[in-house]
Amino acid sequence: MGRTKKIGLICSSGGHYTEMLQLWEAFEDSPKFLVTYREMTTKDQKGAYFVENIFRGPLTFIKGVGRIFMILLKERPDILFSTGSEIAAPAFYFGKFLFGTKLIYLECSAQVYLPSLTGRCVYPITDLFLVQWEPLLRKYGPKAKYVGGLI
Amino acid sequence: MIFVTVGNHYQGFDRLIKKVDEIASRTSYDILIQKGYSRYCPQSARYFEFVPIQTAMDYIRASELVISHAGIGTIILCKEYGIPLIILPRKKKFGEHGTDHQVEIAKAIEERRDDHIFIVYEEDQLEAKIAEVLTKKQKPVPRVNMGRANLIKTIRSFIQEDE
Repeated sequence: MGRTKKIGLICSSGGHYTEMLQLWEAFEDSPKFLVTYREMTTKDQKGAYFVENIFRGPLTFIKGVGRIFMILLKERPDILFSTGSEIAAPAFYFGKFLFGTKLIYLECSAQVYLPSLTGRCVYPITDLFLVQWEPLLRKYGPKAKYVGGLI
Repeated sequence: MIFVTVGNHYQGFDRLIKKVDEIASRTSYDILIQKGYSRYCPQSARYFEFVPIQTAMDYIRASELVISHAGIGTIILCKEYGIPLIILPRKKKFGEHGTDHQVEIAKAIEERRDDHIFIVYEEDQLEAKIAEVLTKKQKPVPRVNMGRANLIKTIRSFIQEDE
């Protein structure tokens, strides 16, 4: 057993954020940090890094992606975990190819039969890929796992 | 209290807000609406746009019934607290979402026959469903979420294996 791993938690606001809070217990023994969108609903979260929604325009996209890179550079997580959505994609690709981070992705429970765009985008580089509905396994490769859903 | 919530989605859900407000105008229900990005401003029911999630959780816990779109966050919280929930899914054809995946979620949940989650597909069915659910006077029964427990276990063992 090596040193304790640092976990980076990254998710959008809304249901993705509620899913993250539901799974908080999985990381209670780990040093960790959270990255999410700055919204009315998330602003009370203590100790989180806030990013402007990267889908609000080209400039906020570039600024948001740059900020995600700087956060990863500073924090150097060993593992990244995301409940979606698109905010996970830049973080996962930076993590994988620049920092050698292990990746865990949980496809949102809103995806019953069809993969999300983010899910398809990060599937190839993700180490543990979880879906929340069994029928969705057929749409991904053998790496995808179903152990249950939150809803 | 009946708490109505349509979540964070950037498209509004006026169809639900208008119908609930109409019901509020001719009943004595104590209704609080989170209208999010919906344009319509209720005339009869109390409403707000957004609050921090911890406040929304308090509202849900304090409600005898929650009415919402088929949003994941609300469904998870109503399950956790065991609060009765009526879902009206957003539809693409009304400009309420980019796809019809909320209808898929509603159907998948309906097949499971949870005893505290009820689905209506048309807003005109809402008033009768509210009366039906309130008549049952269900006590909140927090649910054991096996899916959640399994996900936590799986993620924890991946972290530990990696150490």
